[in-house]
Amino acid sequence: MTPFATDAEALFPELARRIANTLARLRQARGVTVGCSAKRAVWNCGKTTLYQYLPLGEAPARAGARPVLICFALVNRPYVLDLQPDRSLVRRLLVAGLSLYLIDWGDPDDADRCLDLEDYIERHLGGCVRHILDSHAGEALDLLGVCQGGVLSLCYTALHRRRVANLVTLTTPVDFHTPDNLLSKWVRGLDTELLMRSGNVPGEVLNGLFLSLMPLRLTQHKYVRLLTGNCDQRAVEDFVRMERWIFDSPPQAAVALAQFLRWFYQENRLVRGTLRIGGRRVDLGEIRQPVLNLYALEDHIVPPAASAAMQRYLGSADYTSCGIDTGHIGMYVSRKAAHEIPARIISWLRDRQ
Amino acid sequence: METPFTSAAFKPDAAFASAAERFFELLKTVGMPSAAAAGAGRDWSSLAGPLAGQFEQWLKTSQSAGAWFAAANAASPGPAAGFGAAQAGFFGPLPLGAGAAPQQDAQRGWDLVARLAQLQGQLASHWSEIANTAARRFVARLGAAAGGAPTLDNALQLYELWVSCAEESYAATVRRDDFCRLQAELANTSAALLVEQRRHAETLVRAFGLPTRNEVDALYAQLKDLRRQLAELTDAPRTRRAGAQRPAARPAGNPPRKRTRKPRA
Repeated sequence: MTPFATDAEALFPELARRIANTLARLRQARGVTVGCSAKRAVWNCGKTTLYQYLPLGEAPARAGARPVLICFALVNRPYVLDLQPDRSLVRRLLVAGLSLYLIDWGDPDDADRCLDLEDYIERHLGGCVRHILDSHAGEALDLLGVCQGGVLSLCYTALHRRRVANLVTLTTPVDFHTPDNLLSKWVRGLDTELLMRSGNVPGEVLNGLFLSLMPLRLTQHKYVRLLTGNCDQRAVEDFVRMERWIFDSPPQAAVALAQFLRWFYQENRLVRGTLRIGGRRVDLGEIRQPVLNLYALEDHIVPPAASAAMQRYLGSADYTSCGIDTGHIGMYVSRKAAHEIPARIISWLRDRQ
Repeated sequence: METPFTSAAFKPDAAFASAAERFFELLKTVGMPSAAAAGAGRDWSSLAGPLAGQFEQWLKTSQSAGAWFAAANAASPGPAAGFGAAQAGFFGPLPLGAGAAPQQDAQRGWDLVARLAQLQGQLASHWSEIANTAARRFVARLGAAAGGAPTLDNALQLYELWVSCAEESYAATVRRDDFCRLQAELANTSAALLVEQRRHAETLVRAFGLPTRNEVDALYAQLKDLRRQLAELTDAPRTRRAGAQRPAARPAGNPPRKRTRKPRA
């Protein structure tokens, strides 16, 4: 007991009251739903499903507009882009009249442990692109890659230039060896051959890895912050939706994950020009179409420098980038980003139709 | 150890309760330094020990602080702390005559378990260092931050200070090369342990005449090769059609892919 304990104890009744209230709100919020925009499955390949979002009634149909395909990361679920009506990148794009598709990679199981990056890029992502182009009788679509999905999108675009008209990347790492990349430092010494042989990696393991980048902030502090200010039931429900997404990560196919760690994090092949997918070299210099690169200035998973480096390697003469003042997850759900990011994407795409 | 972050079930209320409990604990340890105590040039150093102890304990028990190498634990029958006892049966020879694991295989498993325990010991010394540095940093900054009425808002400000100090100390250690090497070795040893466990299981599976993982993987490789050949055959007419519509030259980025098909046996 410290000499100051008596002072602290005076706070305890108030603190206990706030804890009890917050706990009750959290329990009440357990059943919150996630995902708000109507969509239908239009194609699948293995566990991967391509969804088409249904147009919103009030949205003006944009004649001749190219379809937009959202390619999310393998390591998280894409519903964070459509979490709730007032925090939904998808909804804002639909309101602007875009014809929108989304890839959900699903949950790879033991039958999928040999899925590799070529499968994901050529067969799954490529299959989605082909299906959309066939459906729209088009020659090219607009591709929106998010985080690791941005990396896959860069690879696909470099390999299939004709099929992508415009490329948008969100929180996408390109240079994996920037000095501030803690994740990259940690995985540099991993034996990826062994990892590949040890089987699929459960989502919880990767979650743990991401949380351990800032453990106190990401597993304690954010909860204690619920005790501050005016944290009403709605705010608690918003919080719970985010939490649900954070802790709902799919398992990772062993081979694809091992390849991603080795080729990108360990060997930095994308910027060294040594990456080969399906026997073909992935040369970022071959990306000549317009590129919009949006990244977070406070990102602890994809440091801004890792993403901003993109410009140095692209062959595009029409490159636009913007650092948004938020964190990695804030890019998808913060109130500021919820307005700024869709507005930037919509206006940038509109100028390039 | 199961925490709200390792369980498959999503429990935000449990995670909150756990965080609130630790906040409570911190307040009880630190108290609320009053303005009078701060003004009197109080020596806060006596707080460093208990604070460091609490934080070190949390780092040790929290899966989040070392989850990368928790995969082996997830697949093994016992928690990380109890490797020896929990895995004694696992690394013993398999009970079937023809499929029994040779003694040297069991020994390899034991060696990995021992190595893992050794590495976890080294990791514990890093947690200790982080906790002590964090506590010292906090105590050093507390003098300037102390004071004001003992309100909940002030208590939360104190907590913010503690979190900043703890995260700074953590970041300084976990970025060091020796920590990164240790982290990687822990992950590699855990993966090796998983591979070893599966090798034992394969022996058992073989004894029952069931297909092994390696055999299934080989089939997958064949299937993949067939898929690729099929895709090439399917894409060929599409490419020809596109080429006929677009007489312009192929873009520089898409050189024709060389097809190297193995001769059929």
